[in-house]
Amino acid sequence: MTFPPNPTATSAVVGDRLRLVSGPGIAALLKGLTMPAIITAFATYLVVGIFTMKVPANAVFPGPQFFPAIIAGGLYIFAVALVVSALREMRETSAARPDIAAVTADAIGGDELDAESDDAAPARPVRVDVRSLLWVVLSFLGFAFLLDILGWIIAAGLLFWCVARAFGSTKHLGGLIVGLTVSSIAYIGFDMVLGMPLPSGILGGF
Amino acid sequence: MDVLQLLGEGFAGALTPANLLWVLVGCLLGTAVGVLPGLGSSMAVALLLPITFSLDPTAAFIMFAGVYFGGLFGDSTMGILMNTPGQASAIASTFEGHKMALNGRAAQALATAAIGAFIGGFVASIVVVFVAPALADFSSRFGPAEFFALAVFAFAATSSVVTDNVVKGLTALFIGLGIAVIGIDGVSGAPRFTMDSPNLFDGVSLVTVTVAILALGEVIYVACLERHTSNKALIKPTGRPWLSRRELKEAAPAWARGTAIGLPFGVVPAGGSEIPTFLAYGVEKRLDARRKDPQFGKGAIRGLAAPEAAGNSTTGMAMGALLALGLPISATAAIMLAAFRQYGLQPGPLLFDRAPDLVWSLLASFFIAMVVLLILNLPFAMLWAKLLLIPRPYLYAGITVFCGLGIYATSGSTFDLLMLLGIGLLGFLMRALDFPLAPLIIGMVLGPLAETSLRDAAMSSNGDFSVLVQSPITIVLYALLALVLIFSVRGRIVARKREKQLTNA
Repeated sequence: MTFPPNPTATSAVVGDRLRLVSGPGIAALLKGLTMPAIITAFATYLVVGIFTMKVPANAVFPGPQFFPAIIAGGLYIFAVALVVSALREMRETSAARPDIAAVTADAIGGDELDAESDDAAPARPVRVDVRSLLWVVLSFLGFAFLLDILGWIIAAGLLFWCVARAFGSTKHLGGLIVGLTVSSIAYIGFDMVLGMPLPSGILGGF
Repeated sequence: MDVLQLLGEGFAGALTPANLLWVLVGCLLGTAVGVLPGLGSSMAVALLLPITFSLDPTAAFIMFAGVYFGGLFGDSTMGILMNTPGQASAIASTFEGHKMALNGRAAQALATAAIGAFIGGFVASIVVVFVAPALADFSSRFGPAEFFALAVFAFAATSSVVTDNVVKGLTALFIGLGIAVIGIDGVSGAPRFTMDSPNLFDGVSLVTVTVAILALGEVIYVACLERHTSNKALIKPTGRPWLSRRELKEAAPAWARGTAIGLPFGVVPAGGSEIPTFLAYGVEKRLDARRKDPQFGKGAIRGLAAPEAAGNSTTGMAMGALLALGLPISATAAIMLAAFRQYGLQPGPLLFDRAPDLVWSLLASFFIAMVVLLILNLPFAMLWAKLLLIPRPYLYAGITVFCGLGIYATSGSTFDLLMLLGIGLLGFLMRALDFPLAPLIIGMVLGPLAETSLRDAAMSSNGDFSVLVQSPITIVLYALLALVLIFSVRGRIVARKREKQLTNA
């Protein structure tokens, strides 16, 4: 089977079999360390919580701290295991192709994707498109904070337009019109018909 | 009481105009998300979850069932026509299905897939009707130790057997477990990991997590890749959208075998219908190689019929396992379990006693959904392909707006929207770094069950953990788990050896 055997991790563009890669060397190492850093932080949050927890006096063993302690311990172990495998992978790839590693390690942050597109790898490697990422994330952040002020129709319409932009839509006016239509229909359907409260915001005065 | 009589009452409950409407809505939505590449039924159910709270539970679940099965009917369409399977369970169908389409038999391929899905789902529903009550009856003997064993089984199976990297699977599982312990402890009443913020006293809502991981994370991920996706040509099927008698005869044994392979996987927590679809495909391929005139590689109708039937029979059985044991075997089933909890219902043995109307109406609606889906898919598959005309930017923008809508409408707070974004980013990272997502959802859903049953069992025996392995049922469960693990480790070693031989050769 040519598709990855881990279906839950691959998503979306399944038919296209893209694989996110970064240049070998330091970038690969950073990529390998992202998840361990996150889970270590989360485990530490749990550990701090376990020690500062106000346990009721009547709680008997195994109390409210028991299960979280197992989880935190497990997360630390997996973090170490992930770091080890990331290091091993980096050593293997740089040992396998020292020439490419040397060249692209210098060019990190420079040119875009396809540093190894003529590689024999089954999936087409691509890099994360940072601009699109920021468009989606920042527009959602703005949506979260401005929703109560602007009201659902305007805020959701703007969110729609921003995300469409992030996906490379160039019809700006069209996107805005579609977005406002979608948000208005959602407002009518959910607020007025199904009775789920959505903020009316600055349009509420009319 | 007689099962058939109960089912008859269920049909009476499900055949009201309002409920029929919800079946239809669910089937339409499910097929639509199934057809659109990249949108799976788990994402659709996650997005619908917050929105259905204003419906009564029966209507909501009937709709969910339609979406759940509809996704499986629709996902093969794009696989056949464009070679882009909409979700993982359609990958196996794509191999031979797309070849059939290339050979000018696209319409017949679509018909084979739809009939296969129908047979698999229908047989599974019949089995569920007769087996689920017995299973529920059996599981009513379960105590905390047994439930803990079941949860451990589900954890181990989803995080290690199904995934290709055990550490990554376990990491995802433990993140889910960790998120689930935030909030007020149900046993002792102690607030845990809340930083004294009232926003966290009720814990992180499962709805927020599922929508964030399955929908928003997906949007961010696709946004990062969008400029790299290539547009593939759609094959326009022509000719008769039904099968000749010879084709029916050819496909019939494959449908039957696929269904039989899929059924047992519905009760094994092994992550859903991906494994049975590949197994069914493999069996057909091996059988085909023995024939005088091997069809595989040239568009074998059997290579399409078997996986489709297997996928849907697993899904049908999974619903039975969910209802009778409260055990979700896939991310979608986990979200359905969450939906039950939102209505104050706990799937499992007690559900059949406490809410028989709901259970039997839901089971009856499976049959109705199958028939509706067959009608929707058999003659109209080409109309569904028209959905691809929606520009992808608008499609994903719409999904993002719906994420915000669902979460804000249920919680009404900016805090939950920020939580949604944060966990969505986690979902994006997990996708980008190749971490499986299903274990996180399963861990989040079953974590509280595992914790309370572990603590109840230990407390009732004054802190003695050996109580966990004393009853015969738990021993059987752990033995079964050990067998499954040994089997998967063996399979992995064999695969690695073969790979090594290939690279050396």
